[in-house]
Amino acid sequence: MNQPLAGYAPAPVTARMENHGNHMLKVAMQTGNDLLARVGSMVAYEGFVQYEPNPPAVRQIAKDWLTGEGAPLMKCSGDGLLYLADYGANVVVINLGGEGISVNATNLLAFDAHLTWGVERVKGLAKFAGQGLWNTRISGQGWVALTSRGKPIVVDCGGGDDETYVDPDALVAWSPNLKVKGKRSFRAQSLIGRGSGEAYQMAFSGQGIVVVQPSEDSTDRLRVRG
Amino acid sequence: MAREFQRGHKARISDLTAGTDLYVGVQISGPGLSFDISCFGLDAGERLSDDRYFIFYNQPKSPEESIQLLGAQAGDTESFRVTLDRIPQQIRKLSFTATLDGAGQMSQVGPGYIRIVAGGEEVARYPFSGSEFSTERAVMLGDFYFKDVWRFAAVGQGFDGGLDALLRNFGGEVAEEEPAAPQQQPQPGGAAPGFAPPAQAAAPPAFGTPAGGPAPAPAQAPVPAPAPQPAAQGFAPPPGATPPPAPTPPAPPVHSAPTIVAPMNTPPGGFPVPPPAPAPAPYGQPVQQPPYGQPAPPPPGYGQPQAPQAPAPPPGYGQPTPPPGYGQQPPAGQVPHQQAPYGAPQGVPQGAPQGTGVLGALQQFKETPTGQRWTQQNKKLVRADLGIGGQAVLARQGSMVLYQGKVDFSYKGAGFSGRVVGNATGQEMQLMRCTGQGQVFFAENSTMLHPIELQGDAVCVSAENVLAFDETLQHEVRRIEGHGIPGGALFTMQFQGTGTIVVKTHGTPVVLPVTPTTFADCNAVVAWSAASQVVVSSQVRMRRNSYPGDTGESVNLQFRGAPGNFIVVQPYEI
Repeated sequence: MNQPLAGYAPAPVTARMENHGNHMLKVAMQTGNDLLARVGSMVAYEGFVQYEPNPPAVRQIAKDWLTGEGAPLMKCSGDGLLYLADYGANVVVINLGGEGISVNATNLLAFDAHLTWGVERVKGLAKFAGQGLWNTRISGQGWVALTSRGKPIVVDCGGGDDETYVDPDALVAWSPNLKVKGKRSFRAQSLIGRGSGEAYQMAFSGQGIVVVQPSEDSTDRLRVRG
Repeated sequence: MAREFQRGHKARISDLTAGTDLYVGVQISGPGLSFDISCFGLDAGERLSDDRYFIFYNQPKSPEESIQLLGAQAGDTESFRVTLDRIPQQIRKLSFTATLDGAGQMSQVGPGYIRIVAGGEEVARYPFSGSEFSTERAVMLGDFYFKDVWRFAAVGQGFDGGLDALLRNFGGEVAEEEPAAPQQQPQPGGAAPGFAPPAQAAAPPAFGTPAGGPAPAPAQAPVPAPAPQPAAQGFAPPPGATPPPAPTPPAPPVHSAPTIVAPMNTPPGGFPVPPPAPAPAPYGQPVQQPPYGQPAPPPPGYGQPQAPQAPAPPPGYGQPTPPPGYGQQPPAGQVPHQQAPYGAPQGVPQGAPQGTGVLGALQQFKETPTGQRWTQQNKKLVRADLGIGGQAVLARQGSMVLYQGKVDFSYKGAGFSGRVVGNATGQEMQLMRCTGQGQVFFAENSTMLHPIELQGDAVCVSAENVLAFDETLQHEVRRIEGHGIPGGALFTMQFQGTGTIVVKTHGTPVVLPVTPTTFADCNAVVAWSAASQVVVSSQVRMRRNSYPGDTGESVNLQFRGAPGNFIVVQPYEI
């Protein structure tokens, strides 16, 4: 009876974070190595894992996230296997290895608690009042998991003065050393009375990469649906 | 929209179809002839190192069922199902062969083909006929082979021996063979495959008797008694020996023939190049990557104290000794070795070895470079290079996710849009015009994208499913009116000319041939060939009371047309 499902058993653990399929993250939890994950992203766990939503340390760092209603992060600690997912989004696992990455708040799934991280607001870009583009800059030695609606693409900015323009709704992550600025590319007259075409873009320049998802759905499902 | 292959042509599978679950059909027949069609799963050295990957009538599937024999169906003499992403690492080539069972020779074969069908659509076909062959008794029809990505090659090489000779050529063993029997050595990487002598090489071997049950296992394969030896030597000279004088020079290696699709960045060296990824270490051995939870010396493995980086170490973190991996003490009540603990490394990492660092982890999502105007980046992203061709691209507003270079976006004027606007529906299709120099990436809502290249032909696409197209294409808007269509009419765009349209579908679409009884839901139909005629038909039987608010009225579109027309339907009703 279980024949067709047998292929989906978890693979043996080989790293702190791994993909289980394209859409699920498997984290090997260990006492002393806590994890920060999006509230509501846990789909299953095995072992003894405890969750603390909005812990004080996180509140301190993310005090100005969104409207100040608290960071949508929970601290997971304990021993076991933890499975996380975000409404079927693709999961991308990164072992930072000392490098850093800036992640759009919506697209952050989980990261090691001991990493250096901070919340910052992208300058020069105010999408809507009260909801600017917030992102989390993470660096250090450890693991980060991102989500992407559809298989993402990684584009090299090339280094020179050429700018790469990204739709802010499709943006997932970027190298923190890139220069970012907002840009409006439609001429003003074409905006009047029209829908929101590609009205705003973010321009990146410098040495680094940009990760983009093939969807302009930037809804934060974990937040919207609870 | 199957692509016709000719002998020696090659293409990346990803250029043919986005899918990896493929159906491979072989049609081969001849008067009074019967055939064994089989698939050899070969390793990087082109050897059948694991005879469980010799798929034939006695062994209809590989262990993990990535290759399955399906039998005769849908007009094919034999068919296979190949799931490319489940094929294990060590299998780098699938060779599809047809061998004669009984008397006869390949020149008697009528017209046949090998074709690839993905998602219900035939994407590639290599037709052949007996006139290409002479006295051979086997033919290698086509190969799937892995070089960076999976590719397909139309081979069409005749082979003098029967199935057992073919098997021996691939390094398989046939029972009752003398130990000194020549076996082809694996070619060093870089050499062209040296097998497959030219068609006219040797006299037909005297395999008169039907081969009965040729099998890869050395146990049960009966070998036809009469003189297999000469034939075998004809194509597989013992290493180091002088080649027999008779055979003509080896056939040009098919795999160095030019590719017909995109430039492949072929590394010099030829076909059996192992993939750049390091071969997976033997199971259970420690691998490059420091196993999680164990103290790993040089790279600061996870679980080692890294106090300087942690801003506010949680209690317990930063202990002088790394905490023991979770579960390395076997859980209470469990027998060790029965279930491996969580933290212990139990195998090699699955899939591509992942480097550390941001770039290493994201390597698999890198942009694909090719010099084409339209490039499919993955199933859901398409890149248009405006510099090539220099013409503008019209795209649905809001579908740009990223661009590089100097690209100007402008609102596409109302002249066109006014005609598109469904005043009745209020659904406008707003387009933008992308001009300039640079690359633009289009995607929308994680829908699957399908670039369709038109070369003078015409296609109708439901207006909602158009994502982008070349401005060079002539397009006009058509209205299909009918009682019951939501909003009063269905808007379609007819494209004609030379250029590319990108069509989006929610989910994997199905492509149906137009028959006298082809119906489609007007909400789910995506595109159809313009030569077919559309008739609106309402279902006679209506279930008006199925639930409140539902009129139960379903409007279908019926398509009529000559054979060869097709319709595309998505599994999603807008």
